[in-house]
Amino acid sequence: MSPRVRLRHRMSVVLHMVMAFIITLLLGQLWLFTVTIEAIGDRGLSATTATVAVSCSLLACSAIWALIRLFLRAENQQ
Amino acid sequence: MQVNPRWRQDFPVSCDDDTYATRREFMKFLGLTSVAFLVGTCAAAARRWWIQLRGAQSRPIAIARLEDIPVGGHKLFRRPSEDDPCILLRLGPERFVAFEQRCTHLSCPVHFNAANNQLVCPCHHGFFSAEDGRPIAGPPKRGLTRLAISVQGAQVWVRFGKDEKA
Repeated sequence: MSPRVRLRHRMSVVLHMVMAFIITLLLGQLWLFTVTIEAIGDRGLSATTATVAVSCSLLACSAIWALIRLFLRAENQQ
Repeated sequence: MQVNPRWRQDFPVSCDDDTYATRREFMKFLGLTSVAFLVGTCAAAARRWWIQLRGAQSRPIAIARLEDIPVGGHKLFRRPSEDDPCILLRLGPERFVAFEQRCTHLSCPVHFNAANNQLVCPCHHGFFSAEDGRPIAGPPKRGLTRLAISVQGAQVWVRFGKDEKA
């Protein structure tokens, strides 16, 4: 196996891992969304919960887009 | 020899090619899904903040006179809007409690059962304590939202939007 092919193979594995990580972040965002929906109906949950959920969701969204940019750049280099 | 049919010349895209999604397209789809979740979370949080803000700005409202409700009796009222049914209970001569009337399971209106000192949801047989609104039996997992009550003079006053979990 030539070094170039080996590199492409490794790259492909990394890209799959990135994709799996992005999907994990998406599931986390889905959970945060349900927590925020719950906070509407349950006034026992503090409004701070909603604030934290929005902050975390924003963070996850930024991370996902950063990873996607990284992903696309890596794919271009392949 | 197989001849290329005319329709294939007119429509050269195969079904497989048409539905094929590249890895790049899939990643963009994931990114847009993430944005959609973020927007949804922001909208839900904005609604939560709005509810809290509306409650903080509300003033106490007189909802009943003491002599209107006998001990063991109740009164239904709708505040702060017509879409918010609430129930006021008189558990003792000087003891009043009020809750939002929506069951925390699927929002059916709960009814007061004075004999058992319980609030009952007839839809799915959910039971709540009339003392503090906590769920006793049935599908509901969360307690009823309790309202802040005060007795001043000969009237019962309620203040809305207070974060007070039963």
